[in-house]
Amino acid sequence: MKTVTLRKEVAEQLDVLNNVEILVGIPSYNNARTIGHVVRAVQAGLAKYFPGRKAVLVNSDGGSRDGTMDVVRSTRIEDQAAILMHHRIESVPVIATPYEGIPGKGSAFKAIFEIADALNAKACAVVDSDLRSITPEWVELLLEPVLREESDFVAPLYHRHKFDGTITNSIVYPLTRALYGKRVRQPIGGDFGFSGKLARFYLAKDVWETDVARFGVDIWMTTTAVANGFAVSQSFLGAKIHDTKDPGADLSAMLYQVVSATFGLMETYPDVWMQAHGSEPVRTYGFQYAVGLEQVNVNVERMLTIFREGLRNLREIWIAVLGQGDYGEVESLGSAGTDAFRFPPSLWSRIIYDYALAYHRKKLPAEHLIKSLTPLYLGRTASFVLEMRDADQNGAEEEIERLCEEFEKNKDYLLNNWK
Amino acid sequence: MQDFLTLVLEPFREVFSGFKRFAPNMLAMLTILIGGLVFARIIRLLLRKALIALSFDAWSDRMGFTVMMRKGDLWTKPTEAVVRVVFWFLVIFTLMIGLGALKVHAVDNLVAQFFLYLPRAFSAVLILSIGYVAAGFMSRTVLITLVNNGYHYAKLLAEAVRMLLIVLILAMALEQLQVAPNIVVAAFSIIFGGIVIALAIAFGVGGIDAARRIIEKGAAEKIEGKDDIQHL
Repeated sequence: MKTVTLRKEVAEQLDVLNNVEILVGIPSYNNARTIGHVVRAVQAGLAKYFPGRKAVLVNSDGGSRDGTMDVVRSTRIEDQAAILMHHRIESVPVIATPYEGIPGKGSAFKAIFEIADALNAKACAVVDSDLRSITPEWVELLLEPVLREESDFVAPLYHRHKFDGTITNSIVYPLTRALYGKRVRQPIGGDFGFSGKLARFYLAKDVWETDVARFGVDIWMTTTAVANGFAVSQSFLGAKIHDTKDPGADLSAMLYQVVSATFGLMETYPDVWMQAHGSEPVRTYGFQYAVGLEQVNVNVERMLTIFREGLRNLREIWIAVLGQGDYGEVESLGSAGTDAFRFPPSLWSRIIYDYALAYHRKKLPAEHLIKSLTPLYLGRTASFVLEMRDADQNGAEEEIERLCEEFEKNKDYLLNNWK
Repeated sequence: MQDFLTLVLEPFREVFSGFKRFAPNMLAMLTILIGGLVFARIIRLLLRKALIALSFDAWSDRMGFTVMMRKGDLWTKPTEAVVRVVFWFLVIFTLMIGLGALKVHAVDNLVAQFFLYLPRAFSAVLILSIGYVAAGFMSRTVLITLVNNGYHYAKLLAEAVRMLLIVLILAMALEQLQVAPNIVVAAFSIIFGGIVIALAIAFGVGGIDAARRIIEKGAAEKIEGKDDIQHL
């Protein structure tokens, strides 16, 4: 039994459990307010959809001081009738343990993978601890394709407000789709299903002392599964509503974490993404339905102000990264008024490729490089908001599809300049 | 009359005989200087070709030297940077040897002092190099952070940070060189303090309107509220 970073009491629990078929992991850090709902949904999901299978719930905690683990240990489904279960619910064993190692979601996942490996779990799922919209059905949708041995990796597919998830919509999804040729719509969704075999594969990777342990584990899991030929699918889970992570969170820091992780993986799998051409859909599970979403207010003026400040102050950096040609196009956008402001998808795709090339060539320290992308990203986001102001969800999705096609069309530019 | 002429001509003769004694040394110095400069130029040419042939730029990229240079806002290629450093080292070295060839006691002392001074000069160059890189890095960090937060005077503030750091680094380098250390410390305190007071006065008095605008803009943004948009 591999228990490299597991505590003694956890190892004892594992000895008692011996083997399980299903493992559901919940990474957490100070989520006492929301984790109870997540645990109840998971317990209900396991009881409702997998009553005959041996399961365990694992909470991998980053040292919460608000009693998160106590909430996990004490949470039980109170009203079985509310979820229409005819059979008796046997309580699912719960392992709540602080993980060890570098603080971060990656380390939390590593502890979950280790427990999955130790218990020889057949199918696993991880769900975020701040979810407000999780239902018992999520458990089935993430685990069933794995248990049926149709998938090794199940990514989530959510309905989100057309203006939410813009880093995913304008960078991560189009880029990973163009690179690896698979249309995984939410590659950094955070809620995944995966096989025990894939958990062991993740665990064997020598990344747990790197930035993957801190941030970027979501894109790392998706890309690792896709690039190594595992069977990948996605499940429609409905709306994703979660607690606002940190209202003061710095956008450029978020951008740095996500984009540097994505660019870093390009260095790991050049042979894979250089061979991929075009893209193909992945198998999608779940019944898709329209979801009512909360109104999202967007301050376009502020975004454009930052874009114009970038034009005024970051000229040298942008020329070094983009070259005179693309910089000239960006510069010409500065003179447009707010209503007429449009950031062409083709230019945006070349900019992301230019940044990927600059990252590859180490033109600047990675943090400076990617943070200097922030004003450009806000310019592109402002343009998307202005264009899609009157469009519905489908209209916005069609625009994202057009952007993805631009990324695929311009991939040769990346290939020709990658040395 | 003859005595008078002798009196007048004697200094000229002395100067002439002195020049005759000095001329070979002068010629030697000029030869060394010209030869040294030609040698330095040849080395520069050969070194540049050799480094290009060895793909020194690519190697520097891999080893992280290029990133280090970019941190310091140095945008020349690593090959060119090495070539320039070697060239100027050879020029200075040649100059010192050339001055030594003059065989003037004062100059000889100067040259000897120069070579004794080299360790201190090396430390000072090291301080300047590391300091320059650090100042460039800090300045760019300030610039990007302020731009990403929508501040209008990002470049000005980033340049101010760079200037303050460079003043600090220059003072440290001069202190290392032992160039009138007391004066350096005093001058540094005056300049550094002066810059801070000047900025405070400029902002407090000259920039009342600008300060008001910034504060009002901040307050207005707070009233408007931030985006609800979730980027991730």
